[in-house]
Amino acid sequence: MGVTVLQPYPLPDGKSGAHIIDLLGKRLLSLGATHAGQFLVDCETFISTPQHGAPTRAVHVLHNSEYPASTFSMIDNGTGKQVSLVADNIFDLLMLKMTATFTSKKQTKIESRGARFEYGDFVIKLGSVTMMEHFKGILIEIEYRPCVMLSYCWEMIREMLQGFLGINVAKEYPSYFTTQTIINAMGQQQVHPKQNDIYEPMDTVKQYLEHFTNYRKHVQMHTAMGGTGGGGVGGPVVMGMQPSSVGGAGMGRA
Amino acid sequence: MIMDKLNVTLTAVKNLRSNVRQCFEHLADGTDGEGVEESRNKFVHEFQEKYNNINSQLREVEQLINGLQVPPTAYHLGNTTYLAQETSQDRQALYPQLVNSYKWIDKVHDHSFLAFNNLNQNTLRRSYNYCSQKRQRLPFSSFNNDPDHIEKLLSEINYPTHTTYKVFRPFGSNAVAIVTIANVLKAAIVFKGVLIEWVTVKGFDEQLDHDDLWAESRYEVFRKVQEHTHSAMLHFYSPTLPDLAVKSYMTWLNSHYKLFLEPCKRCGKFIANGLPPTRRDLRTLEPFHEECRNC
Ligand SMILES: [Zn+2]
Repeated sequence: MGVTVLQPYPLPDGKSGAHIIDLLGKRLLSLGATHAGQFLVDCETFISTPQHGAPTRAVHVLHNSEYPASTFSMIDNGTGKQVSLVADNIFDLLMLKMTATFTSKKQTKIESRGARFEYGDFVIKLGSVTMMEHFKGILIEIEYRPCVMLSYCWEMIREMLQGFLGINVAKEYPSYFTTQTIINAMGQQQVHPKQNDIYEPMDTVKQYLEHFTNYRKHVQMHTAMGGTGGGGVGGPVVMGMQPSSVGGAGMGRA
Repeated sequence: MIMDKLNVTLTAVKNLRSNVRQCFEHLADGTDGEGVEESRNKFVHEFQEKYNNINSQLREVEQLINGLQVPPTAYHLGNTTYLAQETSQDRQALYPQLVNSYKWIDKVHDHSFLAFNNLNQNTLRRSYNYCSQKRQRLPFSSFNNDPDHIEKLLSEINYPTHTTYKVFRPFGSNAVAIVTIANVLKAAIVFKGVLIEWVTVKGFDEQLDHDDLWAESRYEVFRKVQEHTHSAMLHFYSPTLPDLAVKSYMTWLNSHYKLFLEPCKRCGKFIANGLPPTRRDLRTLEPFHEECRNC
Protein backbone atom coordinates (compact mmCIF):
# COMPACT_ATOMS: atom_id res chain seq x y z
CA MET A 1 0.00 0.00 0.00
CA GLY A 2 1.72 3.11 -1.22
CA VAL A 3 0.93 6.70 -2.05
CA THR A 4 -0.98 7.38 -5.24
CA VAL A 5 -1.25 10.61 -7.18
CA LEU A 6 -3.44 11.31 -10.19
CA GLN A 7 -2.24 13.60 -12.94
CA PRO A 8 -4.48 14.59 -15.88
CA TYR A 9 -2.46 14.82 -19.07
CA PRO A 10 -3.48 17.70 -21.32
CA LEU A 11 -4.26 16.50 -24.82
CA PRO A 12 -2.37 18.56 -27.41
CA ASP A 13 -4.47 19.88 -30.28
CA GLY A 14 -4.87 17.50 -33.16
CA LYS A 15 -3.51 14.46 -31.30
CA SER A 16 -5.68 11.48 -30.51
CA GLY A 17 -5.79 9.96 -27.05
CA ALA A 18 -4.62 6.61 -28.38
CA HIS A 19 -1.60 8.19 -29.97
CA ILE A 20 -0.53 9.93 -26.75
CA ILE A 21 -1.07 6.78 -24.68
CA ASP A 22 1.05 4.86 -27.17
CA LEU A 23 3.80 7.48 -26.96
CA LEU A 24 3.82 7.54 -23.16
CA GLY A 25 3.86 3.73 -23.01
CA LYS A 26 6.89 3.63 -25.29
CA ARG A 27 8.66 6.21 -23.17
CA LEU A 28 8.07 4.17 -20.04
CA LEU A 29 9.38 1.02 -21.71
CA SER A 30 12.53 2.74 -22.91
CA LEU A 31 13.05 4.06 -19.38
CA GLY A 32 13.22 0.46 -18.19
CA ALA A 33 9.65 -0.03 -16.98
CA THR A 34 7.86 -3.32 -17.63
CA HIS A 35 4.32 -3.75 -18.87
CA ALA A 36 2.29 -5.45 -16.13
CA GLY A 37 -1.30 -5.99 -17.14
CA GLN A 38 -4.31 -3.74 -17.45
CA PHE A 39 -6.35 -1.76 -14.97
CA LEU A 40 -9.85 -0.37 -14.61
CA VAL A 41 -11.45 2.13 -12.27
CA ASP A 42 -15.16 2.76 -12.78
CA CYS A 43 -17.74 4.96 -11.12
CA GLU A 44 -21.53 4.92 -11.13
CA THR A 45 -23.61 7.54 -9.36
CA PHE A 46 -27.02 6.97 -7.82
CA ILE A 47 -29.39 9.81 -6.93
CA SER A 48 -31.99 9.59 -4.19
CA THR A 49 -35.60 9.95 -5.27
CA PRO A 50 -36.78 13.43 -4.25
CA GLN A 51 -38.79 13.50 -1.04
CA HIS A 52 -40.56 16.34 0.69
CA GLY A 53 -38.18 18.50 2.63
CA ALA A 54 -35.12 16.22 2.35
CA PRO A 55 -32.27 17.32 0.06
CA THR A 56 -31.27 14.90 -2.71
CA ARG A 57 -28.39 12.68 -1.90
CA ALA A 58 -25.89 11.10 -4.24
CA VAL A 59 -24.20 7.76 -3.74
CA HIS A 60 -21.06 7.19 -5.78
CA VAL A 61 -20.10 3.55 -6.24
CA LEU A 62 -16.57 2.87 -7.49
CA HIS A 63 -14.47 -0.19 -8.30
CA ASN A 64 -10.69 -0.34 -8.54
CA SER A 65 -9.09 -3.34 -10.25
CA GLU A 66 -6.18 -3.02 -7.81
CA TYR A 67 -8.63 -4.09 -5.07
CA PRO A 68 -10.81 -6.54 -6.98
CA ALA A 69 -12.77 -7.84 -3.98
CA SER A 70 -13.93 -4.45 -2.76
CA THR A 71 -16.60 -1.95 -3.68
CA PHE A 72 -16.00 1.62 -2.61
CA SER A 73 -18.86 3.98 -2.03
CA MET A 74 -19.35 7.57 -0.96
CA ILE A 75 -22.53 9.26 0.16
CA ASP A 76 -22.71 12.92 -0.66
CA ASN A 77 -25.56 14.64 1.20
CA GLY A 78 -25.25 17.85 -0.74
CA THR A 79 -23.79 19.91 2.12
CA GLY A 80 -20.19 19.01 1.33
CA LYS A 81 -20.07 16.29 3.93
CA GLN A 82 -19.02 12.91 2.62
CA VAL A 83 -19.33 9.50 4.20
CA SER A 84 -17.18 6.81 2.66
CA LEU A 85 -17.46 3.06 2.91
CA VAL A 86 -15.40 0.09 1.76
CA ALA A 87 -17.47 -3.06 1.36
CA ASP A 88 -17.38 -6.49 -0.30
CA ASN A 89 -18.48 -6.79 -3.91
CA ILE A 90 -21.93 -7.86 -2.79
CA PHE A 91 -22.62 -4.19 -2.09
CA ASP A 92 -23.36 -3.83 -5.82
CA LEU A 93 -26.30 -6.22 -5.47
CA LEU A 94 -27.53 -4.24 -2.50
CA MET A 95 -27.65 -1.09 -4.62
CA LEU A 96 -29.74 -2.92 -7.22
CA LYS A 97 -32.29 -3.70 -4.47
CA MET A 98 -32.55 -0.04 -3.57
CA THR A 99 -33.95 1.23 -6.84
CA ALA A 100 -36.96 2.56 -4.91
CA THR A 101 -34.82 5.13 -3.11
CA PHE A 102 -31.75 5.43 -5.35
CA THR A 103 -31.78 5.52 -9.13
CA SER A 104 -28.70 5.16 -11.25
CA LYS A 105 -27.68 8.02 -13.52
CA LYS A 106 -26.63 5.66 -16.30
CA GLN A 107 -25.59 8.45 -18.62
CA THR A 108 -22.86 9.57 -16.19
CA LYS A 109 -21.24 6.16 -15.79
CA ILE A 110 -17.55 6.89 -16.20
CA GLU A 111 -14.39 4.84 -16.17
CA SER A 112 -10.63 5.02 -16.62
CA ARG A 113 -8.87 2.04 -18.13
CA GLY A 114 -5.59 1.22 -19.77
CA ALA A 115 -2.16 -0.31 -19.40
CA ARG A 116 -0.34 -0.79 -16.11
CA PHE A 117 3.46 -0.44 -15.88
CA GLU A 118 5.93 -1.21 -13.12
CA TYR A 119 9.21 0.65 -12.72
CA GLY A 120 11.22 -0.20 -9.62
CA ASP A 121 8.63 0.10 -6.88
CA PHE A 122 6.53 2.52 -8.93
CA VAL A 123 3.25 1.48 -10.51
CA ILE A 124 2.19 3.72 -13.38
CA LYS A 125 -1.18 3.50 -15.09
CA LEU A 126 -1.96 5.23 -18.33
CA GLY A 127 -5.70 5.71 -18.15
CA SER A 128 -8.12 6.70 -20.90
CA VAL A 129 -11.22 8.21 -19.33
CA THR A 130 -14.45 7.42 -21.14
CA MET A 131 -18.04 8.28 -20.30
CA MET A 132 -20.79 6.49 -22.21
CA GLU A 133 -18.15 5.25 -24.70
CA HIS A 134 -16.99 8.81 -25.28
CA PHE A 135 -13.31 9.61 -24.75
CA LYS A 136 -12.86 12.33 -22.12
CA GLY A 137 -9.12 12.59 -21.57
CA ILE A 138 -5.97 10.99 -20.26
CA LEU A 139 -5.58 10.46 -16.54
CA ILE A 140 -2.19 9.20 -15.31
CA GLU A 141 -2.07 7.32 -12.03
CA ILE A 142 1.28 6.92 -10.30
CA GLU A 143 1.80 4.96 -7.12
CA TYR A 144 4.97 4.66 -5.08
CA ARG A 145 4.33 1.47 -3.16
CA PRO A 146 7.04 1.45 -0.42
CA CYS A 147 6.00 4.82 0.99
CA VAL A 148 2.95 5.48 3.17
CA MET A 149 2.92 9.30 3.36
CA LEU A 150 2.79 11.78 0.51
CA SER A 151 4.99 14.36 2.26
CA TYR A 152 7.85 11.82 2.30
CA CYS A 153 7.84 10.98 -1.39
CA TRP A 154 6.08 13.81 -3.24
CA GLU A 155 9.34 15.13 -4.72
CA MET A 156 10.21 11.66 -5.97
CA ILE A 157 6.80 11.20 -7.55
CA ARG A 158 6.97 14.67 -9.06
CA GLU A 159 10.39 14.01 -10.58
CA MET A 160 9.11 10.73 -12.01
CA LEU A 161 6.00 12.38 -13.50
CA GLN A 162 7.93 15.27 -15.04
CA GLY A 163 10.48 12.83 -16.35
CA PHE A 164 8.24 10.67 -18.47
CA LEU A 165 5.35 13.05 -19.13
CA GLY A 166 7.60 15.91 -20.19
CA ILE A 167 5.32 18.47 -18.55
CA ASN A 168 5.80 20.75 -15.60
CA VAL A 169 4.15 19.52 -12.42
CA ALA A 170 3.57 22.12 -9.71
CA LYS A 171 5.77 21.91 -6.64
CA GLU A 172 2.77 22.11 -4.32
CA TYR A 173 1.10 18.93 -3.12
CA PRO A 174 -1.87 17.93 -5.30
CA SER A 175 -5.01 19.78 -4.24
CA TYR A 176 -6.73 16.64 -2.97
CA PHE A 177 -4.22 16.50 -0.10
CA THR A 178 -4.26 20.16 0.88
CA THR A 179 -7.97 20.97 0.68
CA GLN A 180 -9.34 18.30 2.99
CA THR A 181 -11.18 19.63 6.01
CA ILE A 182 -12.04 18.03 9.30
CA ILE A 183 -14.26 19.14 12.15
CA ASN A 184 -12.08 20.00 15.11
CA ALA A 185 -12.87 19.57 18.80
CA MET A 186 -14.52 23.00 18.87
CA GLY A 187 -16.93 21.94 16.15
CA GLN A 188 -15.31 24.16 13.52
CA GLN A 189 -14.21 23.16 10.06
CA GLN A 190 -10.45 23.16 9.71
CA VAL A 191 -8.06 22.47 6.83
CA HIS A 192 -6.33 19.17 7.44
CA PRO A 193 -2.91 18.59 5.81
CA LYS A 194 -3.57 15.13 4.45
CA GLN A 195 -0.06 14.76 3.04
CA ASN A 196 1.06 13.80 6.56
CA ASP A 197 -1.55 11.07 6.99
CA ILE A 198 -0.98 7.40 6.36
CA TYR A 199 -2.33 6.84 2.85
CA GLU A 200 -5.30 4.48 2.41
CA PRO A 201 -6.88 2.80 -0.63
CA MET A 202 -9.94 5.01 -0.09
CA ASP A 203 -7.76 8.05 -0.84
CA THR A 204 -7.12 6.72 -4.34
CA VAL A 205 -10.82 6.20 -4.93
CA LYS A 206 -11.68 9.68 -3.64
CA GLN A 207 -9.11 11.21 -5.99
CA TYR A 208 -10.64 9.33 -8.90
CA LEU A 209 -14.07 10.60 -7.90
CA GLU A 210 -12.78 14.18 -7.82
CA HIS A 211 -11.36 13.87 -11.33
CA PHE A 212 -14.39 12.01 -12.67
CA THR A 213 -16.62 14.78 -11.31
CA ASN A 214 -14.48 17.32 -13.17
CA TYR A 215 -14.78 15.35 -16.43
CA ARG A 216 -18.56 15.12 -16.00
CA LYS A 217 -18.80 18.88 -15.53
CA HIS A 218 -17.09 19.38 -18.88
CA VAL A 219 -19.72 17.36 -20.72
CA GLN A 220 -21.70 20.39 -21.79
CA MET A 221 -18.59 22.23 -22.94
CA HIS A 222 -17.39 19.31 -25.08
CA THR A 223 -20.74 18.77 -26.72
CA ALA A 224 -20.94 22.48 -27.40
CA MET A 225 -17.59 22.26 -29.21
CA GLY A 226 -19.23 20.15 -31.84
CA GLY A 227 -20.00 16.48 -31.49
CA THR A 228 -16.72 14.82 -32.35
CA GLY A 229 -14.72 16.69 -29.69
CA GLY A 230 -14.32 13.59 -27.61
CA GLY A 231 -13.81 11.00 -30.32
CA GLY A 232 -13.61 7.38 -29.23
CA VAL A 233 -10.30 5.98 -28.09
CA GLY A 234 -8.31 5.26 -31.20
CA GLY A 235 -11.41 6.21 -33.18
CA PRO A 236 -10.85 5.72 -36.89
CA VAL A 237 -11.94 9.29 -37.63
CA VAL A 238 -9.20 10.93 -35.58
CA MET A 239 -6.56 8.45 -36.66
CA GLY A 240 -7.49 8.99 -40.28
CA MET A 241 -7.14 12.70 -39.89
CA GLN A 242 -3.58 12.43 -38.63
CA PRO A 243 -1.75 9.84 -40.70
CA SER A 244 1.59 11.62 -40.28
CA SER A 245 1.35 11.63 -36.52
CA VAL A 246 0.74 7.89 -36.47
CA GLY A 247 3.98 7.41 -38.33
CA GLY A 248 5.58 9.83 -35.93
CA ALA A 249 5.06 7.44 -33.06
CA GLY A 250 8.81 6.87 -33.29
CA MET A 251 9.13 10.02 -31.24
CA GLY A 252 8.43 7.78 -28.33
CA ARG A 253 11.96 6.48 -28.45
CA ALA A 254 13.29 9.71 -27.02
CA MET B 1 66.42 -64.10 24.08
CA ILE B 2 69.30 -62.31 22.51
CA MET B 3 67.60 -59.00 23.18
CA ASP B 4 67.03 -59.91 26.81
CA LYS B 5 70.70 -60.75 27.32
CA LEU B 6 71.72 -57.56 25.64
CA ASN B 7 69.40 -55.58 27.90
CA VAL B 8 70.75 -57.25 31.04
CA THR B 9 74.29 -56.47 29.91
CA LEU B 10 73.43 -52.84 29.21
CA THR B 11 71.88 -52.54 32.67
CA ALA B 12 75.03 -54.04 34.22
CA VAL B 13 77.19 -51.52 32.36
CA LYS B 14 74.90 -48.76 33.60
CA ASN B 15 75.23 -49.97 37.21
CA LEU B 16 78.99 -50.20 36.87
CA ARG B 17 79.20 -46.66 35.64
CA SER B 18 77.03 -45.31 38.41
CA ASN B 19 79.09 -47.15 41.05
CA VAL B 20 82.33 -45.81 39.64
CA ARG B 21 80.84 -42.37 39.71
CA GLN B 22 79.73 -42.75 43.33
CA CYS B 23 83.17 -44.00 44.31
CA PHE B 24 84.88 -41.02 42.72
CA GLU B 25 82.45 -38.66 44.37
CA HIS B 26 83.27 -40.26 47.70
CA LEU B 27 86.97 -39.74 47.06
CA ALA B 28 86.46 -36.15 46.02
CA ASP B 29 84.47 -35.38 49.18
CA GLY B 30 87.40 -36.57 51.30
CA THR B 31 87.22 -36.89 55.12
CA ASP B 32 85.09 -34.61 57.18
CA GLY B 33 87.29 -34.48 60.32
CA GLU B 34 90.90 -33.32 60.58
CA GLY B 35 93.44 -35.92 61.48
CA VAL B 36 90.99 -37.91 63.53
CA GLU B 37 92.04 -41.48 63.29
CA GLU B 38 88.54 -42.89 63.57
CA SER B 39 87.07 -41.00 60.66
CA ARG B 40 90.07 -41.73 58.47
CA ASN B 41 89.64 -45.42 59.11
CA LYS B 42 85.95 -45.17 58.32
CA PHE B 43 86.68 -43.34 55.10
CA VAL B 44 89.22 -45.93 53.94
CA HIS B 45 86.86 -48.70 54.90
CA GLU B 46 84.00 -47.26 52.90
CA PHE B 47 86.29 -46.72 49.92
CA GLN B 48 87.44 -50.32 50.04
CA GLU B 49 83.84 -51.50 50.13
CA LYS B 50 82.94 -49.41 47.06
CA TYR B 51 86.07 -50.49 45.26
CA ASN B 52 85.27 -54.15 45.85
CA ASN B 53 81.75 -53.49 44.54
CA ILE B 54 83.21 -52.06 41.38
CA ASN B 55 85.46 -55.06 40.95
CA SER B 56 82.65 -57.53 41.35
CA GLN B 57 80.45 -55.59 38.91
CA LEU B 58 83.26 -55.38 36.40
CA ARG B 59 83.58 -59.11 36.55
CA GLU B 60 79.87 -59.47 36.09
CA VAL B 61 79.95 -57.24 33.04
CA GLU B 62 82.84 -59.21 31.54
CA GLN B 63 80.96 -62.45 32.14
CA LEU B 64 77.83 -61.11 30.51
CA ILE B 65 79.76 -59.80 27.52
CA ASN B 66 81.36 -63.14 27.03
CA GLY B 67 77.95 -64.72 27.11
CA LEU B 68 76.70 -62.54 24.24
CA GLN B 69 76.55 -64.07 20.78
CA VAL B 70 77.04 -62.40 17.47
CA PRO B 71 73.48 -62.06 16.16
CA PRO B 72 72.68 -64.03 13.02
CA THR B 73 70.79 -61.11 11.42
CA ALA B 74 70.92 -57.37 11.79
CA TYR B 75 68.84 -55.86 14.52
CA HIS B 76 65.77 -53.99 13.56
CA LEU B 77 66.48 -50.55 14.86
CA GLY B 78 63.54 -48.55 13.54
CA ASN B 79 64.29 -45.21 12.00
CA THR B 80 67.75 -45.14 13.44
CA THR B 81 68.82 -47.64 10.77
CA TYR B 82 68.75 -44.86 8.27
CA LEU B 83 71.53 -43.11 10.07
CA ALA B 84 74.12 -45.56 8.90
CA GLN B 85 72.73 -46.11 5.44
CA GLU B 86 73.93 -45.09 2.10
CA THR B 87 73.14 -41.39 1.73
CA SER B 88 74.00 -40.82 -1.88
CA GLN B 89 71.42 -38.40 -3.24
CA ASP B 90 71.04 -40.30 -6.47
CA ARG B 91 70.01 -43.47 -4.70
CA GLN B 92 67.58 -41.91 -2.27
CA ALA B 93 65.73 -39.60 -4.70
CA LEU B 94 65.19 -37.37 -1.71
CA TYR B 95 66.37 -34.20 -3.33
CA PRO B 96 63.30 -33.44 -5.48
CA GLN B 97 61.01 -34.17 -2.55
CA LEU B 98 62.99 -31.87 -0.32
CA VAL B 99 62.89 -29.12 -2.88
CA ASN B 100 59.13 -29.55 -3.21
CA SER B 101 58.45 -29.36 0.49
CA TYR B 102 60.76 -26.42 0.83
CA LYS B 103 58.85 -24.61 -1.89
CA TRP B 104 55.56 -25.58 -0.30
CA ILE B 105 56.52 -24.30 3.13
CA ASP B 106 57.80 -21.12 1.54
CA LYS B 107 54.45 -20.63 -0.20
CA VAL B 108 52.47 -21.35 2.96
CA HIS B 109 54.54 -18.77 4.71
CA ASP B 110 53.94 -16.17 2.01
CA HIS B 111 50.22 -16.84 1.82
CA SER B 112 49.68 -16.78 5.53
CA PHE B 113 51.60 -13.53 5.76
CA LEU B 114 49.40 -11.94 3.08
CA ALA B 115 46.24 -13.33 4.63
CA PHE B 116 47.25 -12.05 8.02
CA ASN B 117 47.79 -8.56 6.65
CA ASN B 118 44.53 -8.59 4.73
CA LEU B 119 42.48 -9.78 7.63
CA ASN B 120 44.01 -7.14 9.83
CA GLN B 121 43.14 -4.38 7.37
CA ASN B 122 39.56 -5.42 6.67
CA THR B 123 37.73 -5.99 9.85
CA LEU B 124 35.79 -8.83 8.31
CA ARG B 125 36.46 -11.18 11.17
CA ARG B 126 33.14 -12.22 12.45
CA SER B 127 32.19 -13.42 15.82
CA TYR B 128 32.76 -17.15 15.39
CA ASN B 129 36.39 -16.90 14.32
CA TYR B 130 36.99 -14.35 16.87
CA CYS B 131 35.28 -16.36 19.50
CA SER B 132 37.41 -19.44 19.09
CA GLN B 133 40.74 -17.67 18.87
CA LYS B 134 40.77 -14.85 21.29
CA ARG B 135 38.13 -15.39 23.87
CA GLN B 136 40.66 -15.97 26.63
CA ARG B 137 42.48 -12.77 25.95
CA LEU B 138 39.49 -10.52 26.47
CA PRO B 139 37.98 -11.17 29.82
CA PHE B 140 35.22 -8.60 29.11
CA SER B 141 34.43 -9.82 25.64
CA SER B 142 31.90 -8.56 23.17
CA PHE B 143 29.94 -11.79 23.62
CA ASN B 144 29.11 -10.86 27.08
CA ASN B 145 25.55 -12.00 27.21
CA ASP B 146 24.45 -9.97 30.13
CA PRO B 147 20.79 -9.55 29.10
CA ASP B 148 20.43 -6.16 30.70
CA HIS B 149 23.45 -4.78 28.92
CA ILE B 150 21.80 -4.51 25.50
CA GLU B 151 18.72 -2.96 26.99
CA LYS B 152 20.86 -0.40 28.79
CA LEU B 153 22.97 0.22 25.71
CA LEU B 154 19.94 0.81 23.48
CA SER B 155 18.32 3.09 26.03
CA GLU B 156 21.48 5.19 26.20
CA ILE B 157 21.34 5.93 22.49
CA ASN B 158 19.99 9.36 21.77
CA TYR B 159 17.20 8.58 19.36
CA PRO B 160 15.49 11.21 17.29
CA THR B 161 11.83 11.54 18.24
CA HIS B 162 10.67 9.76 15.10
CA THR B 163 12.47 6.54 15.97
CA THR B 164 11.09 3.91 18.28
CA TYR B 165 12.38 0.49 19.20
CA LYS B 166 11.41 -2.54 21.19
CA VAL B 167 13.58 -5.41 22.36
CA PHE B 168 12.62 -9.04 22.69
CA ARG B 169 14.52 -12.28 23.08
CA PRO B 170 13.25 -15.13 20.93
CA PHE B 171 16.67 -16.85 21.02
CA GLY B 172 17.34 -17.20 24.71
CA SER B 173 19.53 -14.44 26.02
CA ASN B 174 20.35 -12.93 22.62
CA ALA B 175 18.31 -9.84 21.87
CA VAL B 176 16.41 -8.74 18.77
CA ALA B 177 15.59 -5.06 18.45
CA ILE B 178 12.81 -3.94 16.11
CA VAL B 179 13.50 -0.35 15.18
CA THR B 180 10.83 1.74 13.47
CA ILE B 181 12.15 4.84 11.78
CA ALA B 182 9.45 7.46 11.26
CA ASN B 183 6.79 6.16 8.87
CA VAL B 184 9.51 5.03 6.49
CA LEU B 185 10.91 1.66 7.48
CA LYS B 186 11.24 -1.05 10.06
CA ALA B 187 14.44 -2.90 10.82
CA ALA B 188 14.99 -6.03 12.88
CA ILE B 189 18.47 -6.08 14.39
CA VAL B 190 19.57 -9.48 15.63
CA PHE B 191 22.26 -9.30 18.29
CA LYS B 192 24.69 -11.90 19.48
CA GLY B 193 25.83 -10.54 22.77
CA VAL B 194 26.54 -6.93 21.86
CA LEU B 195 27.52 -7.75 18.27
CA ILE B 196 25.09 -7.15 15.43
CA GLU B 197 24.67 -10.44 13.59
CA TRP B 198 21.90 -9.71 11.09
CA VAL B 199 19.62 -6.93 9.95
CA THR B 200 16.33 -7.23 8.08
CA VAL B 201 14.79 -4.11 6.58
CA LYS B 202 11.14 -3.83 5.63
CA GLY B 203 8.64 -1.19 4.67
CA PHE B 204 6.49 0.61 7.22
CA ASP B 205 3.39 -1.23 6.06
CA GLU B 206 4.98 -4.69 6.07
CA GLN B 207 4.84 -7.29 8.81
CA LEU B 208 8.03 -7.71 10.80
CA ASP B 209 7.71 -9.89 13.86
CA HIS B 210 9.86 -12.50 15.50
CA ASP B 211 8.28 -15.38 13.57
CA ASP B 212 9.48 -13.92 10.34
CA LEU B 213 12.77 -12.14 10.89
CA TRP B 214 14.47 -13.41 7.76
CA ALA B 215 11.94 -12.85 4.97
CA GLU B 216 12.89 -10.15 2.49
CA SER B 217 10.85 -7.04 1.88
CA ARG B 218 8.47 -7.12 -1.06
CA TYR B 219 9.78 -3.71 -2.13
CA GLU B 220 12.96 -3.43 -4.14
CA VAL B 221 14.04 -0.27 -2.33
CA PHE B 222 14.11 -1.96 1.08
CA ARG B 223 15.91 -5.00 -0.29
CA LYS B 224 18.61 -2.63 -1.53
CA VAL B 225 18.71 -0.77 1.78
CA GLN B 226 19.11 -4.10 3.53
CA GLU B 227 22.15 -4.89 1.38
CA HIS B 228 23.69 -1.61 2.46
CA THR B 229 22.84 -2.20 6.11
CA HIS B 230 24.81 -5.43 5.88
CA SER B 231 27.93 -3.80 4.51
CA ALA B 232 27.57 -1.10 7.17
CA MET B 233 27.32 -3.83 9.79
CA LEU B 234 30.77 -5.04 8.75
CA HIS B 235 32.10 -1.51 8.58
CA PHE B 236 31.04 -0.56 12.10
CA TYR B 237 32.06 -3.91 13.55
CA SER B 238 34.52 -3.42 16.38
CA PRO B 239 35.14 -6.22 18.89
CA THR B 240 37.17 -4.03 21.19
CA LEU B 241 34.56 -1.26 21.43
CA PRO B 242 31.30 -3.13 20.85
CA ASP B 243 29.13 -0.52 22.53
CA LEU B 244 30.48 2.27 20.39
CA ALA B 245 29.98 0.10 17.30
CA VAL B 246 26.28 -0.37 18.09
CA LYS B 247 25.83 3.33 18.79
CA SER B 248 27.50 4.44 15.54
CA TYR B 249 25.49 1.87 13.62
CA MET B 250 22.21 3.13 15.05
CA THR B 251 23.13 6.72 14.19
CA TRP B 252 23.80 5.66 10.64
CA LEU B 253 20.58 3.64 10.44
CA ASN B 254 18.53 6.57 11.73
CA SER B 255 19.61 8.72 8.81
CA HIS B 256 17.26 6.60 6.66
CA TYR B 257 14.26 8.58 7.83
CA LYS B 258 15.05 10.82 4.84
CA LEU B 259 15.25 7.84 2.48
CA PHE B 260 12.60 9.26 0.10
CA LEU B 261 13.16 12.89 0.96
CA GLU B 262 16.70 13.58 -0.18
CA PRO B 263 18.08 13.54 -3.72
CA CYS B 264 21.40 11.91 -4.56
CA LYS B 265 24.39 14.03 -3.56
CA ARG B 266 26.22 13.18 -6.78
CA CYS B 267 23.65 13.48 -9.56
CA GLY B 268 21.07 15.63 -7.74
CA LYS B 269 18.18 13.41 -8.82
CA PHE B 270 15.74 11.43 -6.73
CA ILE B 271 15.31 8.44 -8.99
CA ALA B 272 17.85 6.25 -10.77
CA ASN B 273 16.70 2.91 -12.18
CA GLY B 274 13.41 3.25 -10.40
CA LEU B 275 15.03 3.61 -6.99
CA PRO B 276 15.75 6.53 -4.66
CA PRO B 277 19.31 7.00 -3.31
CA THR B 278 19.55 3.85 -1.17
CA ARG B 279 23.14 4.13 -0.06
CA ARG B 280 24.06 6.42 2.84
CA ASP B 281 27.66 7.44 3.35
CA LEU B 282 29.02 5.75 6.46
CA ARG B 283 30.62 8.91 7.83
CA THR B 284 28.76 11.88 6.37
CA LEU B 285 25.36 10.08 6.15
CA GLU B 286 24.85 11.68 2.71
CA PRO B 287 22.59 9.83 0.27
CA PHE B 288 23.83 8.34 -3.00
CA HIS B 289 22.42 6.11 -5.70
CA GLU B 290 24.10 2.78 -5.88
CA GLU B 291 25.26 3.69 -9.39
CA CYS B 292 26.62 7.05 -8.28
CA ARG B 293 28.90 6.04 -5.46
CA ASN B 294 31.97 5.18 -7.51
CA CYS B 295 31.96 7.88 -10.13
ZN1 LIG C 1 22.72 9.64 -8.15
